[in-house]
Amino acid sequence: MVKEEVRIGVYVCHCGLNIAGSVDCKEVAEFAATLPNVVLARDYRYTCSDQGQALIKNDIKEYRLNRVVVASCSPRLHEPTFRKVCEEAGLNKYLFEMANIREQCSWVHLHDRKAATEKAKDLVKMAVAKAALLKPASEIEVPIIRKALVIGGGVAGIQAALDLADTGYRVYLVEKEPSIGGMMARIDKTFPTMDCSICILAPKMSDVGHHPNIELLTNSEVVDVKGYIGNFRVKVLKKPRYVKEDCSACGECSKVCPITAPNEFDAGLALRHAIYTPFAQAVPSTYIIDMNLCLNKDGIMVCDKCVKACERQAIDFTMKPETVELEVGTIIVAIGADVFDPSALPQYGYGKYLNVITSLEFERLINAGGPSGGRLIRPSDMKIPKRVAFIQCVGSRSNKSGKTYCSNVCCMNTIKDSLLIKEHWPGTEIYVFYVDIRAYGKGFEDLYKRAKKEGVKFIRGLPAEIIEDKRTRNLWLIGENTLLKEPYKMNFDMVILSVGLEPRRDSEVIQRLLTLSRTQDGFFMEAHPKLRPVDAATGGIFFAGCAEAPKDIKDSVTQASAAAARAGILMARGKVTVEAITPILDVEKCKACGLCTKVCPYNAITLNKELKRVEIVEAACGGCGTCAAECPSDALTQNHFTDEQIIAQIDAVTEKDAGKKIVAFCCNWCAYAGADFAGVSRMQYPSNVRIIRTMCSGRVAPKFVERAFARGAAAVLVAGCHPGDCHYINANYHTQRRVERLWKKMEQNGLNKERLQLLWVSAAEGERFASKIYEMQKIVESITPEEIEKAKKVFAKAGGA
Amino acid sequence: MPERLWRTPLDIEKVVMPKAEIHILKDQCKGCGFCIQYCPKKVLEESEEINARGVHPPRVVDEKKCIICSFCTAICPDFAIFVKEKQCKDGC
Repeated sequence: MVKEEVRIGVYVCHCGLNIAGSVDCKEVAEFAATLPNVVLARDYRYTCSDQGQALIKNDIKEYRLNRVVVASCSPRLHEPTFRKVCEEAGLNKYLFEMANIREQCSWVHLHDRKAATEKAKDLVKMAVAKAALLKPASEIEVPIIRKALVIGGGVAGIQAALDLADTGYRVYLVEKEPSIGGMMARIDKTFPTMDCSICILAPKMSDVGHHPNIELLTNSEVVDVKGYIGNFRVKVLKKPRYVKEDCSACGECSKVCPITAPNEFDAGLALRHAIYTPFAQAVPSTYIIDMNLCLNKDGIMVCDKCVKACERQAIDFTMKPETVELEVGTIIVAIGADVFDPSALPQYGYGKYLNVITSLEFERLINAGGPSGGRLIRPSDMKIPKRVAFIQCVGSRSNKSGKTYCSNVCCMNTIKDSLLIKEHWPGTEIYVFYVDIRAYGKGFEDLYKRAKKEGVKFIRGLPAEIIEDKRTRNLWLIGENTLLKEPYKMNFDMVILSVGLEPRRDSEVIQRLLTLSRTQDGFFMEAHPKLRPVDAATGGIFFAGCAEAPKDIKDSVTQASAAAARAGILMARGKVTVEAITPILDVEKCKACGLCTKVCPYNAITLNKELKRVEIVEAACGGCGTCAAECPSDALTQNHFTDEQIIAQIDAVTEKDAGKKIVAFCCNWCAYAGADFAGVSRMQYPSNVRIIRTMCSGRVAPKFVERAFARGAAAVLVAGCHPGDCHYINANYHTQRRVERLWKKMEQNGLNKERLQLLWVSAAEGERFASKIYEMQKIVESITPEEIEKAKKVFAKAGGA
Repeated sequence: MPERLWRTPLDIEKVVMPKAEIHILKDQCKGCGFCIQYCPKKVLEESEEINARGVHPPRVVDEKKCIICSFCTAICPDFAIFVKEKQCKDGC
């Protein structure tokens, strides 16, 4: 076969002034035209626009381009766009390459046009070098199982499950608690419309219970998830209820049960029995026995009062935990949020002063079906308070205690609560101590105004301290009114702490099972904050409700419907293509050592002892490339991230002024995204870093690092996800092992091992990335030409430069 | 719902459990101690007195803790213990 002539077209995008503002795009395009294999180089105002796309398509035909390089924003944003353009012009989409000159160049070097332009040239050169070696690839198609799993049965999970089930898909709804309903079931009224919360939720809960397409698994937990988009194999642990579905929920068993404990649903303000239903509207209505309380443990039947009381003979102490295996195509994560525990703030005395309650306790007290029958009473003397204070931002918006973010719902919740008090006891004096009142949503401002009109007093400035009057159990609030700049000391009968929301304490389990990432706040991170707000970075997984960030009921429901629609798109199509970034095996070179099979996080490589070689299961491959980095005999490489392509990028970086540069290998999901985030946030850092993107830091073979040093690079950075957060389960542990080995080698050869840095950085930690580059800049400046020469020699053999 | 539950439930006085009346037939007891060991609420303990059979029969530590499960009656090999619900008039 005659080797095809490589004809590359380069497009340098201005992105309005986003790039052109600090990079001379014309100069970069002129430079690109001089590079080998480049037959055409243009600069263009908005390459992603329809006109820009048409231009590329036209050029592909007119100039017979067989490779396209676009230098513009992050490939995480527009690579799919331009790949589509190529495909439409008849070019295989794997023959497209992108140079990130916006997030990783113009936006981070805003004030140094010369350096930014030089860097942009280098980035284009790297992309062109890789592009010349690109090979067309075909993607394999994977069928999608037309069933969905929804984790969490709060209002978000309920809505998502109903939408999917109504579309016609089979849905498994897994809930940890004995009943679905979540937080919304515990709230009295909803803002801003003052609807009764359970009254609008209960019909939906009941729909879930009766829907022919929904299988409800309550008192159950997801314990294992294997597989990939479209083909997840999920194990759910169904804990026994010890009551069969024959239960008519008559409650006779509960009446005779001799054991009591505080009811979690009522925030501990009421008792329940060992056999109980958490609340009247629970779905399923089947009672449940709390085995931590029941006397019949370890197979010894001590008490049979409930059994005797049950007319339908529904109680069965022989029930065992059961593991159910499900096969689903998509997963919606709707695990919700926890509330902040204010006992962490000693100044408010929660847990010590009886009449300091949380907003959640308030909801149960004001609820007609709650423990006090809807009477707001002081826990100390059961009297109705005359003067009530609300304290905002408890556990939110603080650098000292609790969380730094705004919990989104507490301002409006307090306003709603204050109106509820006014409705029942108009004479009550109500004061709200706040930092800022955020009434941003539809109808919110009206409610805020109504509260003010009803006489609720809003005072800016949180109390510094609450002191209890030991005799009356009244509370003194001491603080400063920051609007009037004067101190206050006020007496109240009751104080309600408006507690914030925080990530579920067990979200780590779901994170690990589904290989998700979380933001600094601890909530799950979406694939793109603006354009893919309900997608997880992992294919086939979506978010709904507070799992992603604190939000009110309306937003949770909106997001749930969106997540259901997104999951529905995948399932309606019935198939998905897997990116062609799987490993390629050179059978001749494979020595069947089996090292790759040990590092593969997906068990996608097996050793065939008879044929004396390994075998790859492409559909199971996640595409991290850590096998290729592990292979000692160069028999494995990764499609689209081949050894020669990456080496070509390294060589392009180190061709000129290598001794001043940092070669950085960044994983696509965390480090590269973190570098992008630094750009989006306009964090400025030194311009001598050149980033090479790999899917996982596990792809970075020691020979890449050695190559960079052999070519005279001043420093090398290997950056990946935090241990435990790896997008490919655990592939980055191999990164650490390899870097440690390189450090040892550098030390043995008398090299400054600081020149090789390992950084764990999440997609949300732009700051961390930027400060690492500053730190490395100092190292680069301290390196002498002699040291660089020495490294060249040490690694010359290994890197083969 | 992992919130910390620390308050005294408001209905703690409203939830009334039947009161127990524990009867021990001391001289019938052979001192096997099953009732003491298996009582789920630990209502019983070994007494110091010696009965007709020369063993220590059980005695009630706290009758209020008894929930009348009658497990003691069920496992007593010598029919030496039984529990009745206290027939309460006012104020019991």
